[in-house]
Amino acid sequence: MIKGDRDVDTICAISTPIGTGGISVLRVSGPGALLIAQKSCQFLPKEPTSHHVYLGLLRDLSQSKPQSAGITDEAVDEVVTTYFKKGHSFTGDETIEISCHGSPYIAQKILTILVQSGARLAEPGEFTYRAFMNGKLDLVQAEGVLALIQAQSDRSGKQALRQLRGSLSKKLEAIEADILWSLARLEVSIDFSTEDVEIVSKTDLNQRVLAAQQGVNKLLESYRSGRMIKEGLQLVLAGEPNVGKSSLLNLLVEESRAIVSEIAGTTRDLVEAKFSVQGIVVNATDTAGLRKTSDIVESLGIKKSYEAISDADIIFFVFDINRGLSAHELGEIELLDPYKIRLIGNKKDKFSGFLDSAKKTLFDQLKVLKNFQKIENFEPFMKSKVLFVSAYDKSSYEDLTGLIALDLSNTVFEDQSYISQVRHFENLTKAAENIERALLLITADSSVEFMALELKEALILVQETLGKRFDDQVMDRVFREFCIGK
Amino acid sequence: MQKSLDYDVIVVGAGHAGIEACLAPARLGLKTLVVTTNPDRIGYMSCNPSIGGLAKGHMVREIDILGGQMGIAADETCIQFKRLNSRRGPAVRGSRVQSDKNLYAQFMIQTLMSQPNLNVMSGEVKRLVIDGGICSGVVLADGSTIHSKAVIITAGTFLNGVMHVGLQQTSGGRVGDQASVGLSDQLVEFGFDVRRLKTGTPARLLKDSIDWSKTVPQHGDEHYYPFSFSSPNKPKLQQIDCYLTRTTEATHDIIRNNLDKSPMYCGMIEGSGPRYCPSIEDKVVRFADKTSHQSFLEPEGLTSDLIYLQGISTSLPEDVQFEFLKTIPGLENVKVARFGYAVEYDFIEPTQIWHRLETRPIENLFLAGQINGTSGYEEAAAQGFVAGVNAANKILGKDEFVLGRDEAYIGVLVDDLVTKGTLEPYRMFTSRAEHRLILREDNTADRLMGPSSELGVLKAAAFATLDVLVEKRKLLAARLKETKVYPNKAMQEKLIALGTPALTKSLSFEELLRRPEIHCLDLPGLGFDVDQDPNINDSVEIEVKYSGYVSRQLELIRQMRRLEELLLPLDIDYTEVRGLSKEESEKLNKIRPRTLGQAQRISGVNPSATQAIMIFLKGRKNIEASASGDSLGKKRIGRFSAPDAVENSNLVR
Repeated sequence: MIKGDRDVDTICAISTPIGTGGISVLRVSGPGALLIAQKSCQFLPKEPTSHHVYLGLLRDLSQSKPQSAGITDEAVDEVVTTYFKKGHSFTGDETIEISCHGSPYIAQKILTILVQSGARLAEPGEFTYRAFMNGKLDLVQAEGVLALIQAQSDRSGKQALRQLRGSLSKKLEAIEADILWSLARLEVSIDFSTEDVEIVSKTDLNQRVLAAQQGVNKLLESYRSGRMIKEGLQLVLAGEPNVGKSSLLNLLVEESRAIVSEIAGTTRDLVEAKFSVQGIVVNATDTAGLRKTSDIVESLGIKKSYEAISDADIIFFVFDINRGLSAHELGEIELLDPYKIRLIGNKKDKFSGFLDSAKKTLFDQLKVLKNFQKIENFEPFMKSKVLFVSAYDKSSYEDLTGLIALDLSNTVFEDQSYISQVRHFENLTKAAENIERALLLITADSSVEFMALELKEALILVQETLGKRFDDQVMDRVFREFCIGK
Repeated sequence: MQKSLDYDVIVVGAGHAGIEACLAPARLGLKTLVVTTNPDRIGYMSCNPSIGGLAKGHMVREIDILGGQMGIAADETCIQFKRLNSRRGPAVRGSRVQSDKNLYAQFMIQTLMSQPNLNVMSGEVKRLVIDGGICSGVVLADGSTIHSKAVIITAGTFLNGVMHVGLQQTSGGRVGDQASVGLSDQLVEFGFDVRRLKTGTPARLLKDSIDWSKTVPQHGDEHYYPFSFSSPNKPKLQQIDCYLTRTTEATHDIIRNNLDKSPMYCGMIEGSGPRYCPSIEDKVVRFADKTSHQSFLEPEGLTSDLIYLQGISTSLPEDVQFEFLKTIPGLENVKVARFGYAVEYDFIEPTQIWHRLETRPIENLFLAGQINGTSGYEEAAAQGFVAGVNAANKILGKDEFVLGRDEAYIGVLVDDLVTKGTLEPYRMFTSRAEHRLILREDNTADRLMGPSSELGVLKAAAFATLDVLVEKRKLLAARLKETKVYPNKAMQEKLIALGTPALTKSLSFEELLRRPEIHCLDLPGLGFDVDQDPNINDSVEIEVKYSGYVSRQLELIRQMRRLEELLLPLDIDYTEVRGLSKEESEKLNKIRPRTLGQAQRISGVNPSATQAIMIFLKGRKNIEASASGDSLGKKRIGRFSAPDAVENSNLVR
């Protein structure tokens, strides 16, 4: 195995129960805890005082990572951090606890950022294990850890494989096969260079490694949709003031009787609520109306609206059907992702014209927008994306949830091979880096042992994700496929 | 029976493993005896007449730095030198020499005969003297008993060896030599798991019967890099060519039509053969779409009439062999001196031995070479050396000698065998070493000088040579780091002339050398003196150029080392360790890993097991400490009492 030092690196985990509470607490512990936390919590002083609390914005600065392309310097949440120096924490190692707002989404996001900054996800019971090893607990207390390790060990191997959805393990196995194929050829060209065997061409090698890269990147992208199942769909209601966004939110929430909580942000002008559609949690956010303003407080709220919009899986762009779309509204729509937008014409109850001609006008207006021009078959595409409703009509509730259900079935369930666990995400992110470097080496005609090193590391990561163990499969493949003999 | 101690160490067998196994203790001053059935066959090359190759060349250099003999013998008798993979990166280059087979054996016989403290005896060992789980000597075929403090068995393919030519079987370990019957039955009696393996060898042809005009000559390399640091930089003997030819469709037809006469294909051979060295029958069947296979014709020596037919090992009947040989270009009128054959033999499943190559069931009994399931002269010699040194160290009350996987291919070899076992003859490959990029031929001395000087097999005088070499490398590396190169006009012109971009700011010479276009020997032209000796500047240049990868591997090694340094007590009952699955505790009880790192490498043992073991050990230490007030209990975790040191103190005296 390539990994060794599993008890002196820095680990992190969400320490509060999963679900929505007032706050969530994340714990980072290990020799690199402070350095890792400082990457996203830049408000932390260079040498913080132990047992002191620091408040500030936690930011996502991981712009170089492929999965967060385009997102730079994004404020994730305002957090409270507590610093415990080495020897004075629960685990005995340097530890930082991060308290963030109680949304599973935010906590998960921060966890991902910590992993990208160099921490490793803690195994079950690992904090307690370290506390024991550092002399902070006695053996009786550590018995609890052993029970956890037992459970973990029983689960590993084949069972880990079963945990993955069938089509996901198939995709991972396809990636594994591409890497194995390439690695076997590289090893043949190293260890059997005097043999009379056909060694792979640069083009073929490049093609197979590229295929592996595409596979890994697809799975990394699917992290978002996989997360959707676990944490829910992010729905944002956007639009100009007084078009009825809040009434629509109330309609969705009240009728569903699935309200878990309703949090009015104190530092933000966003209203968040949860309801469920076909068993999937929808996290709906009502935003401040979008308009130009000189009011500083209001413009801060509008800035938050844009941030919420950029995180959304679906955007309900609400407008008043009686007024139609204004030039300003069209300008806003032009800035959004056409695949995420649903156009909701509200106040149908007061509308006296023909719905069909209103729809036609709408289509004509949208057609000329830059972001819609690239869409082929515009009308069939738009058909399911426009809805005329009334916040006071019960049938509108059905229409709106139906729209969301359609979306869930299209984006999530059509392809069930997604990764949902941060552990898988962590492994595949590293594998993607190895593969990227391997491709650079192939392009540069570097010596093959360096490519082999990168691919071997990537293979181990993919196999770990699959719950397989790396052993002599490369050699087995070599002997099976090549005629080798001295 | 009187119990006089006749010898410190007895080595059974004088092949490539036996030679190193008897020389090492003798060089450490112990009274050593080597028993062989046929003293004329000491150091005999039973198969191909060459030493080294990829990963194998690495091991020969490692043996040399540690004080073994194989590298010197190969250099002395070299008739062709090749550096394989010379166009690839430095970590995967491997030296290979073809040796004059008879001179090689003669050189080894000479070495053994003139070695102080070493006696060579002709005879067959029938049984071991084993009492109370301790081995204390051997019984010869004539009934006489010789006592010793340790015994090393290096019996090669001789244990219950059966040779196959077609459907005919004869008892024997090699053509012209009898099999050794009795010894492995005794090992079974003592509870050893003994299994069968198979290997094969091709025909030997008469030189004058070959039409060389139909073959392609293959020259050796111009540059010669001897295996031994003590050898001269020029080969002693005249250098020769090998010749390439290929099988034809006609060859394959004959083989296909006679498969029913091959012992492999009618189920007569039960042992598994090496997949990387398949017989020609295997190649024709498994790779049916290949219409031709290459074969090298290798002279067995300068004065020998025999040609080794590389790549065509077979156990088909003699008439079939003769028929298909004649279809190979150049061999139309061939005369065969000896036909190819397969050998089946007993080996001891190697998870039954410790890293020091002492067996677990029987104390003071060591095994090395093919008896442990390996294949190859170099693999055998490496184990012979390790077994010889450990037998000696045990007798002398010194620590056991175990090389790490990050130190040497020898470390990888031994660790793989005792941790994973093997189902086919085990051969070393560079891909078996996870730290391949730092286990290079060029840095063998840097890696192994420390362990070697602790061992003491190599004489102090030899270290003086090595010390100078390593010091010079260090000095050169330091100077490269410290000395700056400035972007003045003259310098820029010189750089551009060398095909490398001009400087934008001042650099150290180390940074400059990192550029692919710049080599050490370019530096004197830029005002930086370097040693002309390639042994010095090659290695330094490689370290500089690949420093990125080298430091990545070193970081991994640093991470692994903590687990490797955590020695596990031998008396743990893993069924008592909470948190382990049933399969894990069974495997751990069987393998008895030496370190936590080795525990993790056992297949079926999950990474989480290391945590469970650490908690168990720490809990145990706490209990021991509070019960006895023993100072051991105060030791930090990671520094449990070294089990082998404790064990060593209980040695037979």
